[in-house]
Amino acid sequence: MSQTIAFYDRVDHALHDNSLQTALQRATTRFISNRAGAIGALSDADRLRDQARAIRAYALAHLDELLPKLAANVEARGGHVCWASDGEEARRYIIELAQARGVRSIVKSKSMASEEIHLNEALEHAGFEVVETDLGEYIIQLAGETPSHIIAPAIHKTREQVSELFVKHLGMTPTTEVPPMIRTARQALRQRFLQADMGISGVNFGVADSGAIVIVENEGNARLSTTVPRIHVAIMGIERIVARMIDLGVMLQVLARSATGQKLSVYTSLISGPARPGEADGPEEFHLVLLDNGRSRILGGHYAESLLCIRCGACLNACPVYQAIGGHAYGGVYSGPIGAILTPLLQPDLPDAYLLPQASSLCGACQEVCPVRIAIPDMLLRHRADAVKAGKVNPIEKLAIAGYTMTMTHPAIYNASGKAARFFSRIAARKGRFRHLPPPLHLWTKQRDFPAPPPKSFRELWAERNKQR
Amino acid sequence: MSRDQILANLRTSLNANRPWLLNEASRAPHEPPPFVLPPENDLAAQFAAELTKLEGKAYRVPNADEALAVIDRLIEETQASSIISWDLDQIGLPGLAELLTARGITLADTTARGEERKARLQALEPIPLCISGVELAIAESGSLLLRHGPGKPRIASLLAPCHIAIVFAHQLVRGLGEALSLLAQRYGDEVFGPTSNLTFITGPSRTADIEMTLSLGIHGPPQIHVIIVEG
Ligand code: SF4
Repeated sequence: MSQTIAFYDRVDHALHDNSLQTALQRATTRFISNRAGAIGALSDADRLRDQARAIRAYALAHLDELLPKLAANVEARGGHVCWASDGEEARRYIIELAQARGVRSIVKSKSMASEEIHLNEALEHAGFEVVETDLGEYIIQLAGETPSHIIAPAIHKTREQVSELFVKHLGMTPTTEVPPMIRTARQALRQRFLQADMGISGVNFGVADSGAIVIVENEGNARLSTTVPRIHVAIMGIERIVARMIDLGVMLQVLARSATGQKLSVYTSLISGPARPGEADGPEEFHLVLLDNGRSRILGGHYAESLLCIRCGACLNACPVYQAIGGHAYGGVYSGPIGAILTPLLQPDLPDAYLLPQASSLCGACQEVCPVRIAIPDMLLRHRADAVKAGKVNPIEKLAIAGYTMTMTHPAIYNASGKAARFFSRIAARKGRFRHLPPPLHLWTKQRDFPAPPPKSFRELWAERNKQR
Repeated sequence: MSRDQILANLRTSLNANRPWLLNEASRAPHEPPPFVLPPENDLAAQFAAELTKLEGKAYRVPNADEALAVIDRLIEETQASSIISWDLDQIGLPGLAELLTARGITLADTTARGEERKARLQALEPIPLCISGVELAIAESGSLLLRHGPGKPRIASLLAPCHIAIVFAHQLVRGLGEALSLLAQRYGDEVFGPTSNLTFITGPSRTADIEMTLSLGIHGPPQIHVIIVEG
């Protein structure tokens, strides 16, 4: 598992993976320009984003009323609701349901919440056959990996790698053309849908006033997962709610544009309970799992703002660190800037989760693109401060900070150290940059270059200038 | 009980942060704009242009007969002998029943529930063509809104590789906000009365999951043909 490898090793690995670097660059560049075009075309993008933020803030402020309302409306339409405090409760509910209904085969459409609680492993362990049906998720499931991007989970795979997987697992004739790969996947997965007894989906928004859930997607696998099998189970993080159906007139507009630059996603399904008696198709049973897993506590702390997130992925693409290292390096389910905030909160037992907030240059690009204007950099800084308070600091860093404090508060030491550094840099730097520094500073230059100090310090230049006058 | 525990946690948390959240909530109005792009005059033209950009096919026809001609051509192209369809009176295109009879096309039984579910869906799988009507169509995004229900099965826009949708000019609205308001006006609390499912469809099924290469029809229909009857 990637989780047992230390964060810095994963970063190192990502930076030296050439095909990952190419894929990341291609994907993030495309997403950034599509988003910019779509947001730029809006008559009043700023206002729409303000509205989106206000709507989400209202929903969080009333979560204690809206969740029971959503649940009551789902039940009034003949659906079932499971309130799950943690992953264990959610997994147990779904497994027991599947066992009670004699389910054998399960199809899944993309759901971050189910990744968060490692649902697939649990279902497989209980003896069920589980197939991820989003093409990207399917590819990484065949490869035995985890998603690297919220919106494009398999961006790290080249077409050659996908072809190999399909040849091996689906008996495809070898090819490097994409269309035959698409046809192969369509046929293979269609049979899985037709044989499935249960479909599991995520939820983009719960709509309290109409007891509906909203699922957005481009492929149609979520539509199939929620139409073909006789049981539909939807898993929703409790914060993913809006008060009224009309709110979707704002939320869907900003979600699609921020995620992929589309005006609307290809399919947006609004689902309220199981199929009604007079309907020819649709599921006989509908179950909504409301997953807390720490969210109700986060709401009361100084990371509450992160719960406004609508998982569009725009901040990932905009982030220079994400562009360089990709999603896997973060180690948790959620990657990129928002992942660096959420992972230490939602998956605190990951040993190096506290390091993730360090993986940011605090450039602010994430907040700039966020459709609900989350102050991501502020929260990253707060995480860093919290980690220090909790004593989670590397001893070398502690020593370095002590040295820094000493230097900065004693002018004589400051001058001497500057001179020493400049002397050293004349010997060791190439083209004004250090590629390698001696230990323990090599930890810095392992993944970055360090600019060499200029030949003269500001203080020296200032003194010379004053002499010349 | 987890429900009570979660709600208790939420209340405690909101004691601390509700004022801040309410303040954020009051900084902008919540009512969605009826549309979000600079308005254009001709909604049918705008819809057609948007759908075309998405690689869907749009046909603007002056009357029902021209619409039937388009359908006839697609029947021939797909070599359909049977179709997955909404009840024809739910589509509301005059002459459609006669055309299908004349071409010897049978309407597949779309009942796919209960014991028979898997077998029926398996039997419907090879059918190459499906036809539906719409509740509304949104010009500025090229989207259809389908409100399913009795006589309006979901699979009639999902299972087959070619989907034909019939839109009448009066069903066109400008934007998503307008569409949602209209739904609320028409059905109030009973939007989900006769059905559990509303779906917005914006172009053909697509994916970019292999090397960001755009591919159509990974799961839903790779072809979508929208016929706008303007007469
Ligand atoms: S933090 Fe903002 S930009 Fe990032 S995924 Fe969430 S909503 Fe999108």
